[in-house]
Amino acid sequence: MTIRSRMGGTRRDTRGVIRASAALLISLVIPGVLLLASPAEAGTASEPGVKSDIKCLKCHSKNRKKTLEDGEELSLHVAKAEYANSVHGEIGCTACHQAIANKKHPSRDPISSRRELSVALNQSCRSCHAENYQQYEGSIHARLVADGNHAAPVCTDCHSAHRVESMEVYQPVTGLPCKNCHENIFDAYAQSVHGGARVNGNVIRPSHIQAPICADCHQAHEVTAVAASDHLTSTCLDCHEEASLAHNEWLPNAGLHLDVVSCAACHAPLAERRVNLELYDNIAQLPVGQHESHAAFEKRLDAIDEANDGLDPVELWKLVRESSQAGQATDITLRGRMEVSSGVDAHRLAVKTSAVRNCDSCHQKGSDAFQNVTVSITRADGRSLRYEADAEILSSIVSVDSVSNFYAPGGTRIKLLDVLLVLSLIGGLAIPIGHITMGRIVKARKKEGEQ
Amino acid sequence: MQTIYAEHSRHDETYINPLPVRIWHWINALGFVLLILTGVQLRYVDLFNVMSFEAAVELHNWVGFTVIANYFIWLGYYLFSDRIKVYHPELDARKFFRTWFQQVRYYSYGIFKGEKSPHNVLPYDKFNPMQMVTYQLVMLVAVPVQFITGIMMWDVKRFEVWVEILGGLRVVNTIHVLMFILFVFFILVHAYMGALGKKPSTHFKEMFTGYEEQD
Repeated sequence: MTIRSRMGGTRRDTRGVIRASAALLISLVIPGVLLLASPAEAGTASEPGVKSDIKCLKCHSKNRKKTLEDGEELSLHVAKAEYANSVHGEIGCTACHQAIANKKHPSRDPISSRRELSVALNQSCRSCHAENYQQYEGSIHARLVADGNHAAPVCTDCHSAHRVESMEVYQPVTGLPCKNCHENIFDAYAQSVHGGARVNGNVIRPSHIQAPICADCHQAHEVTAVAASDHLTSTCLDCHEEASLAHNEWLPNAGLHLDVVSCAACHAPLAERRVNLELYDNIAQLPVGQHESHAAFEKRLDAIDEANDGLDPVELWKLVRESSQAGQATDITLRGRMEVSSGVDAHRLAVKTSAVRNCDSCHQKGSDAFQNVTVSITRADGRSLRYEADAEILSSIVSVDSVSNFYAPGGTRIKLLDVLLVLSLIGGLAIPIGHITMGRIVKARKKEGEQ
Repeated sequence: MQTIYAEHSRHDETYINPLPVRIWHWINALGFVLLILTGVQLRYVDLFNVMSFEAAVELHNWVGFTVIANYFIWLGYYLFSDRIKVYHPELDARKFFRTWFQQVRYYSYGIFKGEKSPHNVLPYDKFNPMQMVTYQLVMLVAVPVQFITGIMMWDVKRFEVWVEILGGLRVVNTIHVLMFILFVFFILVHAYMGALGKKPSTHFKEMFTGYEEQD
């Protein structure tokens, strides 16, 4: 517009105007074309790459708002430059807002809430990012969204809606979307051997490869609940390939330890530890809870633990027995595992030399590690439902059957066997002492008789 | 048979325990004591602190395998010699119980009266009925059970199928500890009864020299 009016007002000096216009055209249009051709690379684009988007942004670059059914006002503003610079700047608004292309816009259809809109629009990511979306659908995040959890993230919560950035942006420690929700955990990570190395240029030791960031262990899109499996141990071993052999060199039953003790239980030495006993169906080869509603399980648990004071050994035995009877063709056992008590603790990983290496810290009566005991079922989405249990569960003779697969010599020793050992010792000494005494009495009487 | 017996007899002594049996016995005795001590250490770290848990496990494993290997000296010797007769059970139940009660009566009454043991020790009949039953149970049941459960716990992952068949690690450990409790009792009583020979040193000397003094 400005150029046109200027041209219209300078007819008297046509040559000068043509020269000036040509220079202006070259200086403005050519860089603009170049920027539009590759906005992300250039990083300075101010216009989106698709022509129709200019039309969209005519309205959406203004500070317009729509009142939602829940009363919240939804801003319709899209920052033009940010969008143009995003990796989506060249695909066009309607690539994601597909519904808008097919009907009259602006629509007067009501939107119940910002969350509903985000969840609905989340589907549009699938059309281009099918593989990532499929992984996301199997994640704990997607399951929580499906359960109506408003804090659980959809794609845009991590990637943003209109300033979607390249994956490389997520690599630096400060740029992670994970910490928006998991701030405490992220802080613990940042202080850990991994986080520290990441901040300090990935240097743990000269030969070390890149230190991991959240997605390296937890996956970017297929994020599973930590309790869903023991996959994190194998994740650790993916990088620490030598760890199994290194443990074998000094740790008795190293394979068993790696199975039943989480890496963090020893490698986060300041962490609080606990034993979790997960109800597991040996025949279905599935954790209990995946084929039974947790509500039904909780009902049974409440009936057994009437006092609601945590499961004692007899109550646990009943729970295992009744769980076996409740389903069809089930063989319920408890899979014991020592782990850290919280996600924050799990991320306080220290340098190798600080790891717990003293066997006595677990293998003795009264060890802290065996004072916190929980019994859990694992829901289909991988989340654990934990119930408090008496620490006595680990040292009761009643638990020989119910906790048959978790035992730490010394640490979870059975009290009744201690009593039997003392009796055996007393008996083993009483027989000789009694026999010698008897012999002396008989001898003395014999002597008396002779006298 | 008589020839061998004659060759291995002195004028007032009978050759009861051949060399392989004596070697096995003392290795076994030392092994059992070490296994009990290291077993106590690794089970009761909170009460005893003679060595670290790690060292106790290491020593327990080494001694355990030595005792297992030693068991096969005993088994091999008896399987391939006619001395296995000492372990032949008395199949006549009436006779067995009669002699067994005689022996019990002797240890609980007769010995104080100065009576002679009802069982006469011979190279091919060296165990009295009480010893016979006890040693058969110990050597053919308790010791193998202890070896098997011990090996399973030495490398649980390697033997996890067998551990599972037995009912799980806690079951295996409970059996192992019950046997350990039994052995503690056995060793104390066994050592005492070893002193109930003609003289307190008679049976101990016999286990070193092989010869038992005749009454």
